[in-house]
Amino acid sequence: MATATLLLIRRTTLRPRVAPYSSTTLKSALDEIDRQNPQLNALASCMSSTVSDTLDNPSHGPLQGWPVIVKSNIAVGCNTATTCASQSLAKYRSPFAATAVEHLQQAGAVVVGTANMDEFGMGSKNQSGIYGPAYNPHQIDAIRHSPGGSSGGSAAAVASGMCRIALGSDTGGSVRLPAAWCGVVGFKPTYGRISRHGLVSYASSLDAVGILASTVHDAQIAYRTMAVPDSNDMTCISRSLRDRIDSLAKSRPWIKGESNNNGKERPLAGIRIGIPQEFWVKELSESTLNAWRRGAQQLAVAGCEIVKVTLPHIPSSLPAYYTLALAEASSNLARYDGVRFGTRFPARTQTAALANASLKYAATRSEGFGPEVQRRILLGTYVMSASAYQHYYLPSQRIRRLIQHEFNQIFALPNVLSNSEIAALSDQPRPDGVDAILFPTTNDTAPPQYTSGDEGSQVSSYVNDVMTVPVNLAGIPAVSVPVKHSHGHGMPIGLQLAAQYGDDNLLLWIASHLGLQSCD
Amino acid sequence: MHRIYSLRVFRTNVGHNGMLMPVLFANPGIRKDTLVQKRAAGSIAQEVKREAADDEFKATIGLELHAQLSASQKLFSAASARWDEPPNTNVYAIDAGLPGALPQLNPQCVELAARAILALDGHVQSRSFFDRKHYFYADQPLGYQITQQQYPIGRGGYVQLGPADGLDYTKRVHIHQLQLEQDTAKSIHGVYPGYVLVDLNRAGVALIEIVSEPDIETAIEASTYVRKMQTLLRHIGVSNCNMEEGSLRCDVNVSVYRKGGDRLSGARCELKNLNSLKTIRGAIGAEIARQAAIICKGGRVEQETRGYDARNDKTYPLRSKEAAPDYRYMSEPDVPEVHLAQDWIERVRSMLPEMPEVTLARVQSQYGLAQEDVETMLNEPGCLAFFEESVSGRDPKRVSSWITSEIFGQLSYRNQRLADSPLTVQQFTQILDSISNDLVTSAQAKQLLISFMDGEKRQVSEIIKAHGWEVIGDESQLRGIAKELIDNHPKEVAGYLKGQERRLNFFVGKLMQSTKGQAKPQEANRIICELLEAKRQ
Repeated sequence: MATATLLLIRRTTLRPRVAPYSSTTLKSALDEIDRQNPQLNALASCMSSTVSDTLDNPSHGPLQGWPVIVKSNIAVGCNTATTCASQSLAKYRSPFAATAVEHLQQAGAVVVGTANMDEFGMGSKNQSGIYGPAYNPHQIDAIRHSPGGSSGGSAAAVASGMCRIALGSDTGGSVRLPAAWCGVVGFKPTYGRISRHGLVSYASSLDAVGILASTVHDAQIAYRTMAVPDSNDMTCISRSLRDRIDSLAKSRPWIKGESNNNGKERPLAGIRIGIPQEFWVKELSESTLNAWRRGAQQLAVAGCEIVKVTLPHIPSSLPAYYTLALAEASSNLARYDGVRFGTRFPARTQTAALANASLKYAATRSEGFGPEVQRRILLGTYVMSASAYQHYYLPSQRIRRLIQHEFNQIFALPNVLSNSEIAALSDQPRPDGVDAILFPTTNDTAPPQYTSGDEGSQVSSYVNDVMTVPVNLAGIPAVSVPVKHSHGHGMPIGLQLAAQYGDDNLLLWIASHLGLQSCD
Repeated sequence: MHRIYSLRVFRTNVGHNGMLMPVLFANPGIRKDTLVQKRAAGSIAQEVKREAADDEFKATIGLELHAQLSASQKLFSAASARWDEPPNTNVYAIDAGLPGALPQLNPQCVELAARAILALDGHVQSRSFFDRKHYFYADQPLGYQITQQQYPIGRGGYVQLGPADGLDYTKRVHIHQLQLEQDTAKSIHGVYPGYVLVDLNRAGVALIEIVSEPDIETAIEASTYVRKMQTLLRHIGVSNCNMEEGSLRCDVNVSVYRKGGDRLSGARCELKNLNSLKTIRGAIGAEIARQAAIICKGGRVEQETRGYDARNDKTYPLRSKEAAPDYRYMSEPDVPEVHLAQDWIERVRSMLPEMPEVTLARVQSQYGLAQEDVETMLNEPGCLAFFEESVSGRDPKRVSSWITSEIFGQLSYRNQRLADSPLTVQQFTQILDSISNDLVTSAQAKQLLISFMDGEKRQVSEIIKAHGWEVIGDESQLRGIAKELIDNHPKEVAGYLKGQERRLNFFVGKLMQSTKGQAKPQEANRIICELLEAKRQ
């Protein structure tokens, strides 16, 4: 590694153009909401009135006084609508709050608003919901860019100082992609680390509650608050499995005293970082590729060993993801029939009203769901139909298992989920394995935000997901860290780190050493 | 989980005065199964003849039984499984399919299902999981039913039918699989014109579906199989199996083939919603006749789903094969795989009670009772235990006849289960002993039984005292009253002396009346007789 390039790397902390993030207070957050939300349209609702009460009586805890914004598909309780940015739930108030939200509130955080998003989390640009498009706080030449999706409102809110952290949901990159495009940290924990109770399901086996924050440190604090077992969600990792993962993770010789290494010259000595070749796709922009290279160099300087790894089935992950996610979506969204809750649209014709049961719901489902959601439900219904099941659904499940297997092959830490009984005997970190992998979060920087009616960008927005969906298929944790910020030289760029199932703490620790790169 | 207060209120649940009105069965229906069984014996003989006459064709029959588990909470929520309470009161978020709510598997249901498959001598699968079965219907809150398709909790096992069940041969009906699944909500039609009402109390209540192999060949075998399954599931405390209440439902697959042909060659028709033993027999008989007639005419039976019109004894088409919904089965991503350890399975097995057939044979021989009486007691949950606790040191026949006639009569009148009755074994034995010790007459004993079943808490002796019910054992007292009676009724005395024997009964009756039943009838008879005969001289 040439010394010349190393000299170019300057460790900087994230210094935003808008507000000093880590000092975001309730007061400053509410001010920024007033000042910036009219332009950014990041919020679905704001609770400034209820918040002012808590200003006087803050509850105590590690998140005391943290203003938090919650994505509109996570229930915050019966005072606020949980709309999923959909007409079908436009007035729906959940009688209960999500477990994740309750944990944040118990730790002293204050929910100041709910965030704009793509309808039911289906989209990568935050333009498909009932609230209209949200906009990226970063601008170049007065062109308004997309904040990314589907948690675009959450990312834009964090980037503009409207909150200290925001909750998002990540089914195929919905937290990491907007984080990268808005220049903030986006963390998708291991599947099951944070309870999904209260998160409106899109694709249950892929969904994760994620955190958007301006620093890895903030994400870490929020994560520790929410990553606890929950009996309301059977897929939330049990206490005993958490303990097993922890003892396994701590068995690595170099891990002792993670924090003791802080401040040392090579704090990450002993850690191996893999560079998966398959993410070097032709769509990758030059600036992103450069950022990737320099991110690797940064970690090398911090003491990591950088190695090439290969995940041959990554190219198949996108079709497999869209098959499985849409199949589950068609199932999870079947309940929006207007019978028990949500908006009900009357049948348009007498014949439809008198026809069989399914047609009675047709009006509600045709008018309650936007075009993207309808498209995905139809595709999902098709891939599960008797004639298509063998050709789409089953092969996609096989690909998913292959991808999980490939990740297990490259990581040093064994996956506690595979062969749990055998693993108990041979739980040994693999000496030639890597501890985390580093790759870009997106192919390119945020595109301009078009207003509705823009159909041409549909396929390109699916293509962007190729970087983010593999970790959802494998259920492993991943975090997107901003490495380039816009300073008139281009929009923000994020790099992604992913680690073995359950290895969230190590992942965040490594991520905290990825800093903002200097501008060329 | 959270109880729901914000559910949409269904209009017709509200009566004219604005009160919440239970639309559904507020009381569990009367259990007539045991009566049906008795009545069945006669008609079975006729039907056997009808089936035997038609020997050119044979039928292949498979049954799907859906039994509601007697778990206190639902399969995936902590809401009460009592679906017969005021509509939409036992509903948690997941039962209404609210966004963000997730299922939580109830371990009690898993145990009951395991119990059932073990009692059938089948195997509990060490690994099982749930699937989603999709279709839209107002009584399906999630848009899918959580069920088990690919990896059910139980496989294998059988039910043995034989002479004890009224057949003159023995036969094993094998079990294909036993799966756990959710019940639907209840749709109520016709209460409020133009609307279908939905009661979510039943939504998510646990069912087991027991799928038999197509081993059954006649309608009689089918109904015998169902009756036997009812007895078994009740006996092991898994389900009430009450067909009238809908806690046991039955779908039947019937196909017909020419004798000597391949028994699985015929097209299969599914008969849905057969909700009594009688309709099961009737529908199968009618369907076999229909299919045989088609084949006779050289036609082809189409695979379809059919209903049964009991009045005209005919089945009618519900939907064709083409119209069959594509259920788009998908493994349930919200519920992890269920792994059951061998020692857990063995523990469930060890807690199984004696199986009904063994109990039947044992009780019959140990106490020398008629099979019918033991069967009747066996069919009332908890009754045999009640019998065996109260029988010690007493005449078994007398105890069983008191249970099957007096207690069951009261239960049926009260529309109650023995298990729900306040009557205790101790109270019952006190009553029996009071009769044997001549403390009360049998008429008074029945009064005692009624008051105990009404919830009376006092001891028998206290009640007797309170009513002044001691039997008049003092003969002179009785004699005095009898004398007076005879003196006051010279006409009847004259009649008796002329040979009208029935006059004797008149006097005995009068004597019982004036002593308010406190005299023992035999005593009264003897005294009156003596006094009247004395008049001859």
